[in-house]
Amino acid sequence: MPLKARVLIVDDEERFRFTLKKLLTANGLETDAVGSGLEAVEALRQRPYDVILLDVKMPGMSGIEALAKLKKINPEVEVIILTGHASVDVAVEIMKLGGYEYLLKPCPMDELLAKIESAYERKTARGERLRKAEATQAGEAS
Amino acid sequence: MVHKCGFRALSQFPHAATLLCGGLAVVLALLGEVVLAAFALMAAGVSFLVVRHLIGLVVKANEQKYRLDQQLIQSQKLAAIGELSSGIAHEINNPLAIMGQETEWIKHLLKGDNLQAPGATDELRDSLREIVSQVERCKEITHKLLDFARKKEPLIQAADVNRLVEDMARLVEKEAAQNNIKLIRGYDKNLPRVSTDPPLLRQVVLNILNNAAYAIGRDGTITIATRQPTADSIELTFSDTGCGIPKEQLDKIFDPFFSTKPPGKGTGLGLSISHSIIVKLGGRITAASEVGKGTTFTIHLPVASPNGED
Repeated sequence: MPLKARVLIVDDEERFRFTLKKLLTANGLETDAVGSGLEAVEALRQRPYDVILLDVKMPGMSGIEALAKLKKINPEVEVIILTGHASVDVAVEIMKLGGYEYLLKPCPMDELLAKIESAYERKTARGERLRKAEATQAGEAS
Repeated sequence: MVHKCGFRALSQFPHAATLLCGGLAVVLALLGEVVLAAFALMAAGVSFLVVRHLIGLVVKANEQKYRLDQQLIQSQKLAAIGELSSGIAHEINNPLAIMGQETEWIKHLLKGDNLQAPGATDELRDSLREIVSQVERCKEITHKLLDFARKKEPLIQAADVNRLVEDMARLVEKEAAQNNIKLIRGYDKNLPRVSTDPPLLRQVVLNILNNAAYAIGRDGTITIATRQPTADSIELTFSDTGCGIPKEQLDKIFDPFFSTKPPGKGTGLGLSISHSIIVKLGGRITAASEVGKGTTFTIHLPVASPNGED
């Protein structure tokens, strides 16, 4: 996959982070992994990630709380929820907060890669549209 | 049901006012006051109809309330099943996700000449080991669930609870000592023998002691005490100097799948199984905790068996 997306994995299962990071890196993605919502917020402040894979049920800051904070720091980042806990209420809440996709674990690797790709495309397209709008505005102003 | 039947019975009888008016009509008729007697008779009739109508309404409302109560119980049951299924799904889906990823990684290693890379065979072995470990994790969850669901009827025997607790304390003490955790005993020497199911009670005591040692981690004490607060009951307390449980989590600790431990470290079934065992043994289990100070579990058990055995 010729993707250059920067991906952040947020999951409290250590082994899950470890292997998923290896797999995404092997597929050409720049990947980091952290174990909590708090660490994710800190990581996004440090680095502009394109796509975040976020677990819901985590000790301390839940995935929902983290999603709200992450979107506040960088509204352009696309967040894919990857959870073992299926709940319509949670899914609705996630969509309301601007989550891009809601995937249930275990999720096949091909499907996950396709979702990351589509989230990255969306983020890039949105960025380009924003830049064009800014350029037009700047042109009109001058 | 009792209320429903009560109202049905009531509706069969005229109201006291109807009787009174009827009685008055008879008396007036006997006294020759025909017009007044007719009025009293009419009043009795109207009163009868009004009261019958009102009772009918009450009976109907009561039946409706009964139906609604039944629907509420049913929906509560469904909600509990939903919550339980959601917990099971989460606990099983996480290890499944890890197994899926390890399989993907093995597939990656087996592709082309990836396996020739340095350390690749070690990684392959590591992935296989991880799959086996996650299978064990799933097995533990399903086996504990089966234990939870199985209606294991207690087999009641007379037991020396001090001895039973001490056996479990010694078991935990060896490992606890390595983490500088001390066990302090305060057994009541006059504790009566108790009619209970010793293996089930052992399971509960071991679970609580293990949790206590886990909550402490390193350097602390577990205080075990027994006493007889009333003639027909005994009390067991287990206090640890561990991290404690936040107030908002304390009322959930006996819920299935609720765990304060990190993923993979606890199934969240230990305390709910302990709770159901103690209830089966005719007792009760409670917990009190303060964050940073520790937790105390208290078990009350009847001296005589709940079924009057032994």
